[in-house]
Amino acid sequence: MSDATLAMGRDRRQLLLWLAPPLLWFAVFMVVPYGMLFYYSLGSTDYMTFKPGFSLVNLARVFQTEPYLSVLIKSARIGALTAIGATILAYPVAFCLAFHTRSARSKFIIYLLVIVPWWAAYLVKAYAWKTILGTSGILNAVLLNLHVISEPMTLFLYNQFSVVLTLVYIFTPFSILSIYAQLDRIPTSMLEASSNLGATTFETLTRLVIPLSLPGVVAGGIITFALATGDFIAPALVGGPDALMISNVVINLLGVAFDWPMAASIGIVVIGIGTALISVAQYLEHRAQVRY
Amino acid sequence: MRDLGSRRIAWSLGWSVIAFLYAPLLVMAVFSFNDSDFTGLPFLGFTWRWYSMLLADDRLLESVWNSVYVALGVVGLSTLFGLPAAIALDRFEFPGKRWFGRLVLLPIVLPGVITGVALLLFYMAMHLRLSLYTIMLGQGTGLMCVTITEVTARLRQMGHSVEEAARTMGANEWEVFQKVTLPGVLPALIGAMLISFSISFDEIAVTYLLTGRQNTLPMTLWSLLRREATPEVNAVSTLVIVASVLLIVFGTWLSRRGSGEPVVSPG
Repeated sequence: MSDATLAMGRDRRQLLLWLAPPLLWFAVFMVVPYGMLFYYSLGSTDYMTFKPGFSLVNLARVFQTEPYLSVLIKSARIGALTAIGATILAYPVAFCLAFHTRSARSKFIIYLLVIVPWWAAYLVKAYAWKTILGTSGILNAVLLNLHVISEPMTLFLYNQFSVVLTLVYIFTPFSILSIYAQLDRIPTSMLEASSNLGATTFETLTRLVIPLSLPGVVAGGIITFALATGDFIAPALVGGPDALMISNVVINLLGVAFDWPMAASIGIVVIGIGTALISVAQYLEHRAQVRY
Repeated sequence: MRDLGSRRIAWSLGWSVIAFLYAPLLVMAVFSFNDSDFTGLPFLGFTWRWYSMLLADDRLLESVWNSVYVALGVVGLSTLFGLPAAIALDRFEFPGKRWFGRLVLLPIVLPGVITGVALLLFYMAMHLRLSLYTIMLGQGTGLMCVTITEVTARLRQMGHSVEEAARTMGANEWEVFQKVTLPGVLPALIGAMLISFSISFDEIAVTYLLTGRQNTLPMTLWSLLRREATPEVNAVSTLVIVASVLLIVFGTWLSRRGSGEPVVSPG
């Protein structure tokens, strides 16, 4: 036996040693449950009890019966608005952190300032906006005191706007961190070259910095989009009846209607979309890895 | 010359966003001291009432411990299974590697509710009773990707040369792992542990579906918020924020000691 085959044999044993436990874990706790989800999506309900079957009726209902498709689209729209809003708010902070923070110490402090709101409890952040935007909330109280309005406004809370605002608030720190990671990798020499060659600041910004950071920004945006689209806390706390999102619908199907096959079908559709999103994000991240 | 554009404009925009991030947290903190039965203006005076009420609330305190218990279990599980997965993904080529990588990442982009429904079906089929352990298994599966991505990134940075050198000089696999690989990935691993702990402590969607009789802190807060919103909630929130600040500072300090960089990265 040559050394190479010996090494390969050793490698295979090694690989098995490292890979077997996590592989087994994901098989039991992910592949099997997702498989069961698929199995349930093919069945039907009869007086609130599950009946196995092999029909694609439920999967078709996701696209054909109201309100599923429109809720899915609405959730995606709220997710997209959140991703865009969070990116717009995040960019200046990430920019300052990458280009206008000189000492390591102040960089560390700003970094901490960004992480703290990201780590603060999710429910708390959503609830805080409820106390700010409500009819007896702080915003109304301030506006009343300033005589901008004469009676409390109800249009701040319990609609899609308040859901998007809350979600943007929640995901901005995450966007800052992921955009900063991109901007920080742009070498100083490249900025110098750009200005030495006569580019204005605006040109350097629009033709160098923003294009270079774009793949990473989009990859981070996809994660924000996915997390926001699947959120069920913000719609339940600060959203009204017209801001019901897909996760709320799934929960209602389980808890109120006991329609497991329908809930499972929505799950299968969402898993399909999620897999597609990961593939896109991985591709973009791969492109962002290009060395400068 | 890394300054790009007007420093003043950049920073005024930057600081306004940071102010936006802190305003709601500040509002919560301020109203946790308000001597009024509901959250909102006017401010009727300073009180510790809500904090003492909270310390007397057994259900709430118990749920804090439940959350800590679950989070520690999640950290343990994701280290035990995530670390080997990261090593396998970094060191070896195997058929289906790309798909394995995708499968591992899937829980990040999937709504927690979907993961929760799938696991609930699985538990029902296995006749498992819902408990803190079912939550632990669910969150562990969802959060393993944090450990895997953080550690894989670190392993990639490290390269394989030191491991190869150790092997050439006669170290066996266990020695290579214990003396080279583990110390090398430790900062990233600690960072991943902290992130997993904090996400688990805060997790609602998966927990919502998999919870049994004992509740975690977010679930207790959730039921408190849905029923009535007393300033007690603000007090809990303020304490949670203070605790997370301490945890972050401690974690960053810990990981900075290990490497030159903060490892607490997005995710």
